[in-house]
Amino acid sequence: MSETVTTVSDVEFGAEIPTFTPDTSLENVKRFGKFVGWGGPRFTDHEAARKEGFPGALVPGVMSQGFLGAMIHRWAPSSEIVAIDTVFRAPVLVDEPHQIVGVVTDVDEEAGCVEIDITITNEAEETRVFGTATVKLPTG
Amino acid sequence: METDIEELRSGFLNEEFDEVTFEIDGERFAEYALSCGEQAPRFTDPAHADFQAPPTFVSTLVGGRSLPVDFPRLGGVGMDAGKGVEWMAPIRAGATLTGKSHLHDIYTKTGRSGRMIFLVTRMELFDEEGVHVANADTRTVMRERPSE
Repeated sequence: MSETVTTVSDVEFGAEIPTFTPDTSLENVKRFGKFVGWGGPRFTDHEAARKEGFPGALVPGVMSQGFLGAMIHRWAPSSEIVAIDTVFRAPVLVDEPHQIVGVVTDVDEEAGCVEIDITITNEAEETRVFGTATVKLPTG
Repeated sequence: METDIEELRSGFLNEEFDEVTFEIDGERFAEYALSCGEQAPRFTDPAHADFQAPPTFVSTLVGGRSLPVDFPRLGGVGMDAGKGVEWMAPIRAGATLTGKSHLHDIYTKTGRSGRMIFLVTRMELFDEEGVHVANADTRTVMRERPSE
């Protein structure tokens, strides 16, 4: 399967979406906090987060959801995400490598819609965030 | 004593409890897009003809209240368990959106550590013409306080 898709006809049931490595660096999370919000110490300061009982600074959940959206748009640049539901199962930690994998679980060629399951895992391959998206693609 | 979920549902579901206005800043959503790893110019480049907010951006819009003013205290500290977005139309830089919030669902799950209560707050977003452009759901979970 190619790295990107253009129309719904390009999408196969069960296909894996190219893996995406999100930028979970402290610098990027601070940038998110500065411009978007969620700039509190638990997100931007490892020591402050540890004092709150966390293993380290946390990537905001809304940023993790944004990673999932970005992964879909990288794979299908002309797509529209019409729905996305995200479950925050465990913290995504700042400065720790994570990977996002996705798989196509349904294809409706007539409606031009595909369903995708997406998972963010850490280096130990533990699921941190799980999402399901409905994506509309040109029927071309 | 366990919280009566059916009573909560009949008393609070689908009753609007908050209304706020958002001025949509294109620089803010472009920065959101870039920091999340978006590459499509329609989300990152203000000069693009189809410049618009990524659909998930609406999850960053926060209302004035997350629960009705008379909603009972359920005990434990609420944790953000998830976000959901339904996208209906593009949100452009400079738009003024009205967000109206209601409790969309209340349900429980029981595990080894006891019962957890989930509250789903939905913010419906409308543009200046009253067009419904998106829904942004926040799922909060709290562990029920043990019976005394």
